[in-house]
Amino acid sequence: MLNFTFEKFTYFKIVSFIFFLSLHTVLAQDKVTISGKISEAKNGEGMIGVNFYLKELQIGVSTNVYGFYSITAPKGKYTLLITYIGYKSIAKDLELDANKTINFELEEEGKLLDEVVIKGEREDDNIKNIEMSVNKVEMKTIKKMPALLGEVDVIRSIQFLPGVSSVGEGSSGFNVRGGAIDQNLVLLDEAPVYNSSHLFGFFSVFNPDVVKDVKLIKGGIPSAYGGRISSILDVRMKEGNSKKPEFSGGIGTIFSRFAYERPFLKEKGSFIVALRRSYIDILAKPFLNNDLKNSRFYFYDFTAKTNYKINDKNTVFLSGYFGRDVFGADFGFNWGNSTTSFRWNHVFNNKLFLNTTFFYSNYDYSLDSDLKNENNQDSFEWKSNILNYSVKPDFNYYINAKNTLSFGGQIIYYTFNPGQATAVSGGQSRSIGLDSKYAVESALYIGNEQKVSSKITLNYGLRYSFYTYLGPGTVYNFDENTSPGDRKDVLKTDKAANGEAIKTYGNLEPRLALNIGLNTSTSIKIGYNRLAQYIHLLSNTVASSPLDVWTPSSNNIKPQISDQIALGLFKNFADNMYESSVEVYFKTLKNQIDYIRNADLLLNPAVEGDLMYGIGRAYGAEFYVKKNKGKLNGWVSYTLARTERKVDGLNNNDWFVSRIDKIHNLSVVGIFDISKKWSLGSTMSFATGTPASFPTNKFVWQGIALPQNYTDERNSYRIPNSHRLDLSATKKNKHALFKKGESEWVFSIYNLYNRKNPFSVYVRQNPDDPSKTEAVRYSVFASIIPAVTYNFKF
Amino acid sequence: MKKLFLVLIVSISLLACEQVIDLEVKEGISQLVVDAWLTDEQKEQSIKLTLSQPYFDEADPKPALGAQVIVYNEDSTAYVFTDVDNDGIYTYTPKNNGYLKQNESTALYIKYENEEYYSLSELKRVPKIDSIAYEVFSFPITPPNGEPKDGYLAQFYANDIVGEGDTYMMRSYKNDTLRFAPNDITLAYDAGFSAGSKTDGLMFILPIRQSINQTLFLDKDKIRVELFSIPKEAFYYLFQLKQESSNGGIFATPLNNIPTNIINLNSNSPKKALGAFIVSKVSVFETVIEKGLAKPKQ
Repeated sequence: MLNFTFEKFTYFKIVSFIFFLSLHTVLAQDKVTISGKISEAKNGEGMIGVNFYLKELQIGVSTNVYGFYSITAPKGKYTLLITYIGYKSIAKDLELDANKTINFELEEEGKLLDEVVIKGEREDDNIKNIEMSVNKVEMKTIKKMPALLGEVDVIRSIQFLPGVSSVGEGSSGFNVRGGAIDQNLVLLDEAPVYNSSHLFGFFSVFNPDVVKDVKLIKGGIPSAYGGRISSILDVRMKEGNSKKPEFSGGIGTIFSRFAYERPFLKEKGSFIVALRRSYIDILAKPFLNNDLKNSRFYFYDFTAKTNYKINDKNTVFLSGYFGRDVFGADFGFNWGNSTTSFRWNHVFNNKLFLNTTFFYSNYDYSLDSDLKNENNQDSFEWKSNILNYSVKPDFNYYINAKNTLSFGGQIIYYTFNPGQATAVSGGQSRSIGLDSKYAVESALYIGNEQKVSSKITLNYGLRYSFYTYLGPGTVYNFDENTSPGDRKDVLKTDKAANGEAIKTYGNLEPRLALNIGLNTSTSIKIGYNRLAQYIHLLSNTVASSPLDVWTPSSNNIKPQISDQIALGLFKNFADNMYESSVEVYFKTLKNQIDYIRNADLLLNPAVEGDLMYGIGRAYGAEFYVKKNKGKLNGWVSYTLARTERKVDGLNNNDWFVSRIDKIHNLSVVGIFDISKKWSLGSTMSFATGTPASFPTNKFVWQGIALPQNYTDERNSYRIPNSHRLDLSATKKNKHALFKKGESEWVFSIYNLYNRKNPFSVYVRQNPDDPSKTEAVRYSVFASIIPAVTYNFKF
Repeated sequence: MKKLFLVLIVSISLLACEQVIDLEVKEGISQLVVDAWLTDEQKEQSIKLTLSQPYFDEADPKPALGAQVIVYNEDSTAYVFTDVDNDGIYTYTPKNNGYLKQNESTALYIKYENEEYYSLSELKRVPKIDSIAYEVFSFPITPPNGEPKDGYLAQFYANDIVGEGDTYMMRSYKNDTLRFAPNDITLAYDAGFSAGSKTDGLMFILPIRQSINQTLFLDKDKIRVELFSIPKEAFYYLFQLKQESSNGGIFATPLNNIPTNIINLNSNSPKKALGAFIVSKVSVFETVIEKGLAKPKQ
């Protein structure tokens, strides 16, 4: 199944050629390398994406995700500039006479502009950087944005970025450039998170107190990333304060939070532990009568991370996340993710940096008829999970000032357990075991970022992903002559032996990015990427539910593949006070899964017979203006987009707009620092209503009025538009508890003008008069929602 | 105070809201609707023919008159259904019990406005209902619509017949009133809810046995439970009917047309029919709630 076409082979040759050419041009000169780590002065956290710039040479690098930098230059005296938005820049003279390791610390910029600040000259990172279709949101910005019920939320916040949307308020996950929610690789310290939601999608699983950095990559995806076809959401956790012990926490409407971080072993290591739990159930307990005493409704997450610097060359990190939602009364339902990642940073020398990650990630749920109850004559218990282990070495090789090479690989071993259930009826027990499914996904990649000239930067790379669907298991073969849209019958089943490769797939995934600087404040960027995805979330509902099951590519399900090309114009104004960009993209998607009518996706061994496969395309334009400096910060983002699908057996085999299509999507985010004490946040959003299908006719059968669409068209209507305004105000206090530290009150109002934004419009029988039919507008948040949160730190 | 906290608990769901709105939709072409659900019982059997209408049309469906309706056994015995009252309800009263044969196919033939339609359905086996039992029960809070908070929770006892793939529908009457809203239709695949549940030969699982409680029953209430055998395609038809008749909320599925097993003999004709033809065997059990016989509260 190796799809090694001539076209790709040629591409591969070109990449190798450019790569070796670039190596060659720079090998022999009297050069030295300076490298080290850049961290935050306040807490010792390594900083991601800090610019390190040698003024005379006009060359620079930025720190990697561990705060590591390396630059090679001819011997000489230089002016060094280290800049990062929101931090005081460092400008100093540097004599480069031999290879050196120098670590730097950056101090946070004061809130008010009257403080003396050394002005950086590299705030134009968005212009110079090769990255396009990338959005970073600072945690401190996310914390000031108004939040639903006052709970700061990473996933809700990124929905204000261009190209990002959701099917509706309260739904789980997010959609990027027309992709489904399972097409986003959500990483928490490099471990994938399979369900990023608490409470069916109201809150995300990331505790804002532990998140250090959030980066969303929508296009021009570097070769180091793969496995999902729409986007990468890279969430990095704090390492823990390596300078002093610190308590922080807060009490909000939904969660109470508590975190503790501190250094250990003479500041060689540090750790952070953080716990969040919803607490309405605890408050309610005394007021519940006997019948409700056993009801359970809470969700929590526990996040911890520690790092230890063994020596200058070796640092290890261990991070873990464990979260769970628990609901129950006379039934029990709980679900949650757990992830653990162990990472080892090794600096071979000034130029070669290695990070090796080992991770474990698990998502599971269980549904039962409350087995703690007396009655085991009749009971039901059902469990499902997806589990994976992975090892992933990533090398950064800073060849010279002009070339940074990344290469590495990854192996993921998956176990899918689509459902294990036990049903007891009248004292007789039956287990319903769907076979577990196994798969191995591996990849090798190489990529080089090359500064071709002072104006042109190129990043080219190639990823080869290889996938095997492994036995033991039952291999289903379906009647492929079934007319599209109908359930395919099982023709035969075969048993695959342990370790047998049932089906393999391989994909070459070329990646390319180009930055052409037009002048100091303007650049054009072009990106192309192909991505392959081997695991799929089966979900036939508008919003994904926690019961949805991940399933591997198999002899029936082919991997999803996307090709995306994006073109962007980036320009900064007024001395980098404003940054702006316009990007257009076009994306094609292959092997997109759809579902037959009355598809049975749960506990169905022959579930693959209920699936249909189609193609998709998505295209759009994204406009973005961001103000970085001054008392008023924020951004305006507008997306004009279209996303469509074509599936045999749906919509008369013609293209139709996808359920997540929103033509216009406008967001305005403003944060205003009034004084040292007060700041205000405001967000406004407008989005076109999502598509919907409605019946043309009704027919009455056994007294029940039923919908029927004579044309069989799908998604030819739109529900009304959504818009909303949210506000927040933060008041900082000098002293928190015990007259130490600091604290703040956050007041927020969600949906200020009390709009009933539609989540969906659907038709039904009138509940009181079954002969009548009616249309219903359903809103998830149909009122103004005020909230107060208290945060402290000492 | 207690109320306040209950409000807090469900506040998240209370934030949601449903509003009936006006919606303009395109109108399609009217089609013949066949509502034919026959049982093998010796009592009047009826087939209702109507015409589909615009979705928001509030008028009663128009009857399809002047059709020829005939049901055939496998041995070609014909049973002619006639529209005596000229209201689109075509009836036939079997002369003897078992005019339909178990494990045999039954064919329906309809000629309407020069188009000929046919359909097939198979009469499947049905188990006997052994008993109905009930226990004292109270809801923690008063249900809406003045339904009783305290009363009796009933369940029927029956076992799925051994052999995989039996499908059933059950419905119940309270004091001779049948409730048959889509939400009240209970379907069973063997003794469980779906094909994957592997419940062949078991007693029907508890949620199915208790599905007969539309509301709690009171002392001296009469309960009647009917268990229908249905062919597998009828199971999927009813399954989708339940889904499409009220398909809202955040976990709604895409609207899909409900398939029909009524086929135009002329496959090239643009005129298609809607609805379904189903034949069933029925088991019935009736009882009257006696306070003294109820199991005490657990």
